[in-house]
Amino acid sequence: MEKLLNKLLNYPWVSMAVIVAITTAFFFLMKENTKMETDLDKYMPHDHPAFVYSDQAEEWFNIRDGIIIAIENKEGIFNTATLDTLKQLTRRFQKFDEIDKNDVTSLYTADNIVGSEDGMDVRRFFKRIPRTNEKLKGLKRNVENNEMIFGRLVSSDETVTVIVAEIKDDVFTQEFYQEILEVAKASETDDIKIHVAGRPIVEGTMALLGPADMQMMVPIVLLVIFLVLLITLRSFKGTLITLGVVFFSTIWAFGLMAAVNIPIYAVSTMIPVMLIAIGVADGIHLYSHLHTFVDHNPSASRKEAVTDMLKQMWKPVVMTSVTTAVGFISLLTSQVYPVKYFGVFTAFGVMMAMVFSLVFLPAGIMIFGLPKAKKVDMKENKGGHSNSKIANSFAAWIIKNKYVSILGTVLIIVLSVFGLQEMWINSSFLDKFESDSEIVMTDKFINEHFGGTSSLNLILDANGKKDTFKEPEVLKLVDKMQKDVDGQLKVVGNAFSLTDYINRMNKVMNEDDEAFSTIPDSKDMVAQYLLLYEMSGDPENLNKVVDYDYEKLNVTFQLKSDNSKAINSVLDVIHTYEGRFKKLGISMNYAGSGYKGLVFTDLILEGQIMSLLLSLIIIIVLISIMFKNIIIGLISSVPIIVTALISFGIMGFLGIPLSSTTALLSSIAIGIGIDYAVHFLEQYRLNAINTNDKLVAAQKTMAHSGKAIIFNAIVVIAGFLVLIFSVFPPNRELGALVSLNMFTSFAGTLTIMLVLLNVTNIYFKKSK
Amino acid sequence: MKTLKITTVIITIMMFGFIAKTKAQNLSARDIVEKVYDRPSGDDQTSNLTMTLINKNGNERVRRIKQFTKDLGEVEKNIMFFQSPADVKNTSFMSWAYDDESRSDDQWIYLPALKKIKRISSDSKSDYFMGSDFTYDDLGDRKLDDDTHNLIGEETIDGVEYYVVESIPKDEDYMYSKTKTWIRKDNFIGLKKEFYDEDAELLKVLKIKEFKKISGFWVIISSEMENVQKNHRTTMVLDNVKINTNIPSSRFSERMMMRGV
Repeated sequence: MEKLLNKLLNYPWVSMAVIVAITTAFFFLMKENTKMETDLDKYMPHDHPAFVYSDQAEEWFNIRDGIIIAIENKEGIFNTATLDTLKQLTRRFQKFDEIDKNDVTSLYTADNIVGSEDGMDVRRFFKRIPRTNEKLKGLKRNVENNEMIFGRLVSSDETVTVIVAEIKDDVFTQEFYQEILEVAKASETDDIKIHVAGRPIVEGTMALLGPADMQMMVPIVLLVIFLVLLITLRSFKGTLITLGVVFFSTIWAFGLMAAVNIPIYAVSTMIPVMLIAIGVADGIHLYSHLHTFVDHNPSASRKEAVTDMLKQMWKPVVMTSVTTAVGFISLLTSQVYPVKYFGVFTAFGVMMAMVFSLVFLPAGIMIFGLPKAKKVDMKENKGGHSNSKIANSFAAWIIKNKYVSILGTVLIIVLSVFGLQEMWINSSFLDKFESDSEIVMTDKFINEHFGGTSSLNLILDANGKKDTFKEPEVLKLVDKMQKDVDGQLKVVGNAFSLTDYINRMNKVMNEDDEAFSTIPDSKDMVAQYLLLYEMSGDPENLNKVVDYDYEKLNVTFQLKSDNSKAINSVLDVIHTYEGRFKKLGISMNYAGSGYKGLVFTDLILEGQIMSLLLSLIIIIVLISIMFKNIIIGLISSVPIIVTALISFGIMGFLGIPLSSTTALLSSIAIGIGIDYAVHFLEQYRLNAINTNDKLVAAQKTMAHSGKAIIFNAIVVIAGFLVLIFSVFPPNRELGALVSLNMFTSFAGTLTIMLVLLNVTNIYFKKSK
Repeated sequence: MKTLKITTVIITIMMFGFIAKTKAQNLSARDIVEKVYDRPSGDDQTSNLTMTLINKNGNERVRRIKQFTKDLGEVEKNIMFFQSPADVKNTSFMSWAYDDESRSDDQWIYLPALKKIKRISSDSKSDYFMGSDFTYDDLGDRKLDDDTHNLIGEETIDGVEYYVVESIPKDEDYMYSKTKTWIRKDNFIGLKKEFYDEDAELLKVLKIKEFKKISGFWVIISSEMENVQKNHRTTMVLDNVKINTNIPSSRFSERMMMRGV
């Protein structure tokens, strides 16, 4: 290996040219072939049982996410102008290519079924816009008397009415959203305000906003990293070459993705994040070594300096890269494909960064020259054995006050474990936006006036037993459960199912007597009401709540929040009915995008914990083999464990929920933590062999590796802190957490790991 | 010789064109549709109707209905009794449709479980008939001069000649923007009909699958309506059809609704 690398040193231009050529090829491949995947549905593992059932149920009941268009008039909506706007907008939305005509619901499309002395009356609320006062009053009265409309399509204070447009799958684009907004804005007047909300809008905006924000922030991040690198490396050339390593490895990773036709997912934007953090590390360690060598041997030639650097450093670089790559490969255990891809391509990028660090970087030095030597005054008292005063005193202090590190670490672990209890998972999309953003404000506005912008679908399944959902006993239980969930939880705006139709029909057929708004006791009665509804109302409506054979029922709960706590609280109440339904031969399943999001986040988390444990074990084994010592393997895992624990602990304390992106950050803890540990261990081992004195070894290692590690941490932290100014909250969290992880990794390596090395007397068995 | 031959051909074509034109002119689109609407169907009819609703997943709902219809001149009365499924057995439905356009239909429903007759009033003729893909209008409640009819072509399919008539409703708010009907030239049965929605998109297709001469009248025995937008179909099959059996007018009363078949 070393021989090969040295041989390559003779042909720096060739290595350089080959790498640049391949990079260019990958770059064009990437430009031509890369596609973004913004449809969140594509992220879901569709062969997972929960998803299979949900997808089926969505098909059976035509469950789709709705765009909500709210028309607000503070003076009340029952006037000609507002109703005209409602009708025009309803008609306009029915004409969108992305929307099925029948999937648009509003007061204009709804039927009003009312009872009278001797019969039943089925009418549209209005078809021609009412113009006389009398007609407007009549409409108002009809709406107020219909509990299936009042509070659902018209707010109870009568200042807002909504149009719900369910959109087809995979059709949300930014252009479509813009068109909706334009249509809505065009209908606004001084009195009439239009608001647009709903999950498709939130999802679509998020899928576009996140990467767009990243695209804007990454150049700034790179600029800051460039500047800090420039200061720490004291070399313009060195900075360019180091960043070149990062840049090339990122292009290769994305180029390969494009080559094998894998689209860019939201999590893929984490690949450059990882590669920046890791790629910079190799460069800094190599340059740090080079600097030390040049400082001590100012007259050395390029070839001598680079040869020494490779001789000393190729091993730790390879070791760190391999262990890091293996850590990422362990993400293959995840059930979520984008996460698998993320793992594989980051691993590839890490390996490439290694190759570039060992080939491109030396070639660059051969071509562009060594950094300038700093004059080293050998005679000056540095208070220790290395030529860095700070390193000497720091290492000495750490070793002298071991118990500070140990106690500190124990304390941190305990605190983190407490923090972990507070940890929660959030699959909410809305929570990812600023609380004062338009999208959140609109959502809040609609939630204040209506049942809720989010929904959860409970599918009751009689497993093939026909006509189960005509049984009064069953329907009464469903009705009770609905009322229970609705009554117990503030977050639930309303619950809706077949029972609402039957309650309504029973009331209508009994002279509109409120006392009859119940489920009748006879099955035949239920069947006859349903037949009557089919004959007089829109039979399509029933298809959304019950299947053709009356053996599957769809209960929709409208929620005022899409976060996991809200969904779980509803699930908890529903579960208390599970036993009673089971006795009736009915099983419970769930459907809808909110539920799928919840399951999905759980899967990500589960996969993340699995792969975290797996990679930890693999890394311990690998390091133990590399250093031929199991204790070294165990010690090397300490900074990783501490980093991961603190990361999750702080998230718990600060109430930052685990989501698909924040969960992946634990991979950084591994990637970075192991980098630091290996570099430090390798130096410590070399120094230990040469000096046979624990303090000398510690001080020398601190001056060399320790310094590189600090530089590395400073560079990456500075870079990622920039993300704190991002306009997209998840990117802000990302920036803060990456910085935190970098900090704890470095602090853990330089303190507790050094202390552990010291107390275990590794490499010093014979002495003392 | 050659020129003569060509001339003959041209003249023949011209003549045929002329004849075809006069023939169409003789029978205006309105005349054709009138013949369809006025095709004699007898004064009364008794039959068993099997109505099958088929959804997009291929699930079926089958309903068997015994029905009686009588044309009393100014009013056409109809009464239906559900035979199956069992849970709606003896549910009955009666409607009186008046020739007077200003008068809307009277409709009653009897639910045996409730033991009550209820009047149903509904503001639109576009209501779907018993949850099927047929509206009341589709089933023959439409009046000739509700639409403007245009003959847009003639076609020969499988050796049978058809007029193709396009009908555009005079009421702009009507649920269809137009319909297109293929009418058999020989017996004036509309064998296929396409319905276009408010936005001029194809909504439904009606196909007559079987018709028979019973007691001297053409009767449509089997038909299928498919809503192509919702992917939903309804088939209606008649059997045991009896025409002109002199059903007494008293058959069409609330008392009879409650008594059952």
